[in-house]
Amino acid sequence: MLKLAPRLLLLLSLGLPCGALAAEATAVVETLHAALLAAMKDAKTLGFKGRVAQLGPVLDSTFDFPAIAKVATGRHWQKMTEDQRQTFLQTFRDLSVATYADNFSDFGGEKFETLGHEQKKNAELVRTNIVTGEGKRVSLNYVLTRNNDDYRIVNVVAEGVSDLGLKRSEYDGIIAAEGVDSLVAKLKAKVASYAASGR
Amino acid sequence: MPVQHTSDGPNTFAWNPDKMNKELVAKGLLSLSLATLLGGCASTAPSNPSDPWEKPNRAFYNFNDSLDRNFFTPVAKGYVWATPKPVRAGVTNAFENVNYLNVMANDLLQGKVSDFASDSGRFVVNSTVGLGGLFDPATKLGMPAHDEDLGQTLGKWGVGEGRYMVLPLMGPNSLRDLPNVASAMALNPLTYLNAVVTVPLGVINTINMRANLLEETNIRDQAALDPYTFVREAYRQQREFKIYDGNPPSESIDDYLDEPEATAAPAAAADESSVLKVY
Repeated sequence: MLKLAPRLLLLLSLGLPCGALAAEATAVVETLHAALLAAMKDAKTLGFKGRVAQLGPVLDSTFDFPAIAKVATGRHWQKMTEDQRQTFLQTFRDLSVATYADNFSDFGGEKFETLGHEQKKNAELVRTNIVTGEGKRVSLNYVLTRNNDDYRIVNVVAEGVSDLGLKRSEYDGIIAAEGVDSLVAKLKAKVASYAASGR
Repeated sequence: MPVQHTSDGPNTFAWNPDKMNKELVAKGLLSLSLATLLGGCASTAPSNPSDPWEKPNRAFYNFNDSLDRNFFTPVAKGYVWATPKPVRAGVTNAFENVNYLNVMANDLLQGKVSDFASDSGRFVVNSTVGLGGLFDPATKLGMPAHDEDLGQTLGKWGVGEGRYMVLPLMGPNSLRDLPNVASAMALNPLTYLNAVVTVPLGVINTINMRANLLEETNIRDQAALDPYTFVREAYRQQREFKIYDGNPPSESIDDYLDEPEATAAPAAAADESSVLKVY
């Protein structure tokens, strides 16, 4: 361990891409994609609740929700109480799962293709496409950071639109105008509306 | 078919430089007066540095949105119900084709010579073999569609994005993207046709465009807590993405992270910015 440390440091300081870790980041994204495809293919038999149950654990193991919650609330995180942080984190996680369960609710021959990965300054970028049944490609890029030994997804960028960037802008306005509790109430209402539409 | 227009010959396609100049001047003046009008109402402190006109922008957004929900969306849904998919694809192709001179001009302005060659071939092939652009044989012949406009050209030349603005009826725009409204009109052959032809075509184009966006607005309605902010940020990010043809440099989009109050943890803020970047 002690012997390895200087070499690792050297590797990091040179900014060399770390092959094994990069492959891991790609594997994390592909795990998510496989789960999404499975949920889409069995969408009708699973139903909304079934897809939530199936996708929940996969998202928990592929996304870094605590890190995302912190970035999504931005400057407000420092001022939130521990209770507010925990409630926000849980609600945000539930909303993410419900959103995936709602969006991936049928299968029309879609597939995912992994294009490659790049080491960025503080993150790993995995480039993929989702290909529709008609052959239309939609760019879907994942930003992953290393948390302990695992790579976890912290942001999804669809056709150049950053999911976390959008949420952060929206949340900032709402927290500034109405407070964190009001934001959490709105997020809970979203989760409930996904469950109610239940497609 | 009402959308055969580019191969109609000189009878309906009257190229008239005088008229063109007048229209351009009129449209330029309209844009200018709109800009000053909007500038005049900006008074309150902005919550976002790139959107100092948030107040009037929100007013126009709400106006557009209620018009959209009460009129355009129901009409677009009716149109989707009444027409088969291939017909809508043909209509989309044709209107994209008549807009293609603007794409070609901006290929040149950005120095994309091989794209210009391919796009010129595309325009000729689709206008002729593709029956006025209704069909798209050019893609199968290796001349794929490109997405260029004057806003992207200005961005590539280093012009900043400028203030975000929501135009009545037209929706999201910015000072940098505004000139494209004029150039797209000036380079669209339909602009020079008689109103008897352009008005119905414009109606069809509007309804068809709205129908093509039904999925996107569904996503907005489901996902957004504050639809105005959602649309603004999505617009700004996607424009950045297009300027760099889907590959923006990592440093380019830190702007919207500017936070005067986030001084508590500068190290954490640096980490966050790389996470939020649009690649």
